[in-house]
Amino acid sequence: MTEVQTKPAAAPAAAGPPARRSPVKNAREAATGWLFVLPFVVLLVAFLLLPMAYAFKLSLYRSTLIEGEHFALFENYTQAFKDPLVREGVLRVIVFGLIQTPVMIGLALLAALLIDHATSRFARVFRLAAFVPYAVPVVIGTLMWGFLYSKDTGPLGSVLHIDFLSSSWVLASLGNVVTWQWAGYNMIVLYAALQGLPREVYESARIDGAGPAQIAWRIKTPMISSAIVLATLFTILGTLQFFTEPLILQPLNPGSITQHYTPNVYAFNQAFSFQQYNYSAAISFLLGAVVFVGSYLFLFATRKRSAL
Amino acid sequence: MTALTLAACGSGSDASGDGGKTGGPVTVKVWAWYPSFQKVVDLYNSTHTDIKIEWTNAGAGQDEYTKLQTALKAGKGAPDVVMLEFQELPTYQLTKHLVDMGKYGANDLKSSYVDWAWKQVSQGDKVYAIPVDAGPMAMLYREDLFAKYGLTIPKTWDEYKAQAEKLKTASAGKAFITDFGGNDGGFMTGLTWQAGSKPYAYDTANPSNIGIAVNDAPAKQVMSYWEGMVTGGLADTKAYGTTDFYNGLGSGKYVTYLAAGWGPGYLASVAKTTAGKWRAAPLPQWTAGADAQGDWGGSSFAVTDQAKNPQAATKVAMEIYGAKNTGAWKIGIDEAYLFPTATPVLESDAFLKKKYDFFGGQTVNDVFVPAYKAIAPFSWSPFNSYNFNQLTTGINGAIEKKTSWTAALDTAQANVTQYATQQGFKVQ
Repeated sequence: MTEVQTKPAAAPAAAGPPARRSPVKNAREAATGWLFVLPFVVLLVAFLLLPMAYAFKLSLYRSTLIEGEHFALFENYTQAFKDPLVREGVLRVIVFGLIQTPVMIGLALLAALLIDHATSRFARVFRLAAFVPYAVPVVIGTLMWGFLYSKDTGPLGSVLHIDFLSSSWVLASLGNVVTWQWAGYNMIVLYAALQGLPREVYESARIDGAGPAQIAWRIKTPMISSAIVLATLFTILGTLQFFTEPLILQPLNPGSITQHYTPNVYAFNQAFSFQQYNYSAAISFLLGAVVFVGSYLFLFATRKRSAL
Repeated sequence: MTALTLAACGSGSDASGDGGKTGGPVTVKVWAWYPSFQKVVDLYNSTHTDIKIEWTNAGAGQDEYTKLQTALKAGKGAPDVVMLEFQELPTYQLTKHLVDMGKYGANDLKSSYVDWAWKQVSQGDKVYAIPVDAGPMAMLYREDLFAKYGLTIPKTWDEYKAQAEKLKTASAGKAFITDFGGNDGGFMTGLTWQAGSKPYAYDTANPSNIGIAVNDAPAKQVMSYWEGMVTGGLADTKAYGTTDFYNGLGSGKYVTYLAAGWGPGYLASVAKTTAGKWRAAPLPQWTAGADAQGDWGGSSFAVTDQAKNPQAATKVAMEIYGAKNTGAWKIGIDEAYLFPTATPVLESDAFLKKKYDFFGGQTVNDVFVPAYKAIAPFSWSPFNSYNFNQLTTGINGAIEKKTSWTAALDTAQANVTQYATQQGFKVQ
């Protein structure tokens, strides 16, 4: 692309000798540029674009046990649209996201503001403690919570006499695991943004009579709004792809965490339990579209604050 | 000498294989999932110069099937010989991924197996797998707790329920007669199999026709019985294989465990602290005095269509747990808790008269062997993972939402029928 464009651009200037050398020089620069991005391009193509293209191709076929494989165009997609289990899963992650995202971002923001305000050694310890769950692999963290939730043997479940994994509690319990895991990470993002703010602003606010709470809420928070938007966006993306936690906790109560609990879990089971690779690919693509539209809408709605 | 002939034969019959490159031993890749299989492999390799087994543990059950499906779909990466449970065989038969071992002499083994077990792996003269172990069911119970709570050994399911009620009162609701694992399709099918349920009418000779009756009368009878047990607070509903379930087995919360032939060893490994307190008794019957039995699990060795040297692979499948291979069977029985399907092993003193310390010295195989022989033939569908999924989703959902279990079976019937139709089967 770049090389094609350089030729007409160089043509009007083709009068003097220096200009004649420039296409060559440009081409060489372009080549150097390509060389620098080459590793990235190779990885992008090999691990994202090619698999995506393959998955898209898969999603256009149908393979049945008796009739074998045939081209089916959008049959898998229409099936997915009509599939009540897909709808149930999508609805569930939306409800989950609507509650869980504000809770998590709220907690992360609160923690970041508190740590930013405090300057004692305690703040450093707290910062590390809040971040540690993020360092625990998701699978291990989830298994640990599964144990804590157990009504018979878990310290939480047996003391509170709550069946955390029953259908009425399970969404909240999963939300708790996710919040535990990610709030610290988001807190660090927001805290880093707070660190970048000019301290003089607080001073003038204090002179104007603002208290710590007012400074936090009216000055610091709006000033890091783009970081908040970024953290929220990541949370939304993560929520729509909700997968590991329900998959790991599923065996503990398969009645409340079904094999179609979230669209991702459903797609996984379609492919790896029922060999419905084509249908699974279609669900994954639809989910991808939902994620894309969801994050675009969010960015559009927050465009003034986010600067993204 | 046979060794050389076989290696030569292998390379001759399959030009593309790396079978008999330069006369060295033929390598046969095997997937199996219990850790003590290594010893069986070592034994085989040390007694054979013609074939060398290379073993991979590709995970148990569904984990392995997932990898196998992927490898078969990709066209490479599958092993020569693979461990498959009986209920999975039709799936791979239908997709033509299993080698007919009948061509390589597997039919000679037929007389070593009871009829139902051989039917699970064959179709006429075609043999798709060599049965290794099975899972006839029985009732394992805590003798000490039966004495403590004044319970008697139930012979029928009605008596079982009566004992459960007695136990509920005697233990003030702290103990349950058992735990019903609604997450285990094999367990539930074993129970409905005993009652005479025939969920599928399927013959691989006529692969596109299938009869579906997941919600037949015996299945409904079994499920409404257990619904009553669960809603009456007589049976617990912890998922099998979870910490809570193991904890219940070890702590005396469950006084019986409805187990398969591999259950005694499994129990001994997950509830070590209760050693010596358990005993085995036959599974309760629906009709007093009857001898109806069901099977839960069991495995076989099949040869995949990716086998480079199908003849050598068949030899491994046939010999590794061959009826005469007492060394392998000793390892299999003592360490992997296999319940042998081959009658010479089954009826050997080493198995029949084996005393289990965990069961207070009881020869528990006295209970399991007659049960194994009384199992009625049964046919699976070629989409068992979907079938089990429907069963577990339906029953677990019913447990969770406190809805009717038999209605869950009706839903499963409708879903399975729809699925089969979508897959191109003619549903009868």
